[in-house]
Amino acid sequence: MSVSNHQVMLSLDKVSLSYHTGRKTFDHGVHRVLDEVSMDLYEGETLGIMGRNGVGKTTMLRLMAGILAPTAGKVVIQPGKKAALLSLGLGFKPELSGRDNALLAAMLQGSSLEQATTFLDSIAEFSELGESFDAPVKNYSAGMRSRLGFTTALMTHVDILLVDEVLSVGDAHFRGKAQEAMKNRIMGGQTVVFVSHMADQVAKLCNRVIWLDQGKIVDQGDAVEVTDAYTASVAEERKIAAAKKLLR
Amino acid sequence: MVFIPQAGSFTRVFDTLACILITNVDYSLMYFSQYLRLIDVMARMALRADATKFFLGYIWWVLEPLLFVAVFYFVFSVILGSREPDFIIFLMVGKLTYVWFAKSVTQASTSIVGSKGLVGQIDVPKTLFPMAVIQEGLYKQASVFMLLFIVLLATGYPITATWWYLIPLMLVNYLMIVACGFIGACLVAMVRDFQPLITLGMIFLMFTSGIFWDIRELGDPHKTELLLAANPLAFLLDAYRQILMHETPPDMPHLLMLGAGFGALVCLMVLAMRRYSQFLALKALTA
Repeated sequence: MSVSNHQVMLSLDKVSLSYHTGRKTFDHGVHRVLDEVSMDLYEGETLGIMGRNGVGKTTMLRLMAGILAPTAGKVVIQPGKKAALLSLGLGFKPELSGRDNALLAAMLQGSSLEQATTFLDSIAEFSELGESFDAPVKNYSAGMRSRLGFTTALMTHVDILLVDEVLSVGDAHFRGKAQEAMKNRIMGGQTVVFVSHMADQVAKLCNRVIWLDQGKIVDQGDAVEVTDAYTASVAEERKIAAAKKLLR
Repeated sequence: MVFIPQAGSFTRVFDTLACILITNVDYSLMYFSQYLRLIDVMARMALRADATKFFLGYIWWVLEPLLFVAVFYFVFSVILGSREPDFIIFLMVGKLTYVWFAKSVTQASTSIVGSKGLVGQIDVPKTLFPMAVIQEGLYKQASVFMLLFIVLLATGYPITATWWYLIPLMLVNYLMIVACGFIGACLVAMVRDFQPLITLGMIFLMFTSGIFWDIRELGDPHKTELLLAANPLAFLLDAYRQILMHETPPDMPHLLMLGAGFGALVCLMVLAMRRYSQFLALKALTA
């Protein structure tokens, strides 16, 4: 799908983020997470952000959602539009029931008490928690927890949905269901930014991909091309690492 | 989100005004009444979560402060033999109001840092976290005050017109808690080392606010005056005692001055926490 004729929803203009760690671990205690990153997000597209752990993917989403502010550069969002993270287990309290936690999460995401209450039935149904929905979350298995988390998060209705590695939740059955729900959103014209280190998932869901490494954009463009280049680079690095090990 | 007030919808107009005044457009997802509702729901849920943790559940609300009083009574009345008449009532009024302040402020101080998971996932006003904790303390304190009033009545203290002064007094007390809670929450979010200092500060206040000794019987009226002027908590505790035990209205100009001061501090902190919301988030996430 061509996206160039669509409106820019959000853009990062030479955005940097760094902070003092307090301890002198990085250069003079300053940790640079993002370094002059520029990009545009178009209306209705699904943009993937790829990269290894700790390269600044989550930070980029947090900047887009307005949770963090850049140290330098600008984050520009179309007036009146709102970006929010699809968050798993938003501040879950283990002593409370799934129902109470879902209610609280929905309210934190901007629903009124009345709206949140009406969501509860559909959350109970989609998450397939059955009677456990009214049991304390501390008794849930990891899979049940992530099912509740994903379903609650799915109730977020925003202009730009920011998704951080959440489609790897629960068992195979629920994972399929989660991917299906996400696909429906994308088909429905939802603008999505999707962070993952799983190349196949990104290639399947996204129109366009940004490859991030050490706080800088390495490459961006067509989803299949960029994910292929990323996968090749990761394989290359593995080979180099293995060779180094042998030489030692 | 853009606000279009609808004709005839008063609450909508109120929300819009309040939103512009208090929350600002960045927090447009959260109307002011929604913000209040959320504080209430968060506080209630925290109370419910707390109650399910313990076998005695809600009974701890009154049991804990009573045990505090019992410990102090044992030390100061039984072991040290305090001369104060009605020492137990004197102690209860002082201790129970002090515990409200100390617990609320201490817990509010760690509330932003303690909600790291939430802070990293959603852009909400940072005042939400200390406010939810303070609201939780307020609900508990309501039952504690009830208990205190019952004890006062049972031991022969009459309800008089002077009790009306409790309303402005409690209001100022609440403003003081909110102001200190906001400041504590920001300090701890920026530098964790403030946390033990705040705990220490509370112990210092416990000894200097006249909880188990009478500030009016120091022997030196200048010292009493100085302490009442310098330590707002000492003034508030003394005012509770004057109203409840001696049917004497508090020093109203002093009380109003404190109210104005803490009210201004609260406003200032709301503005600052709004302005530096993202900075606080970064600090909470990275420190």
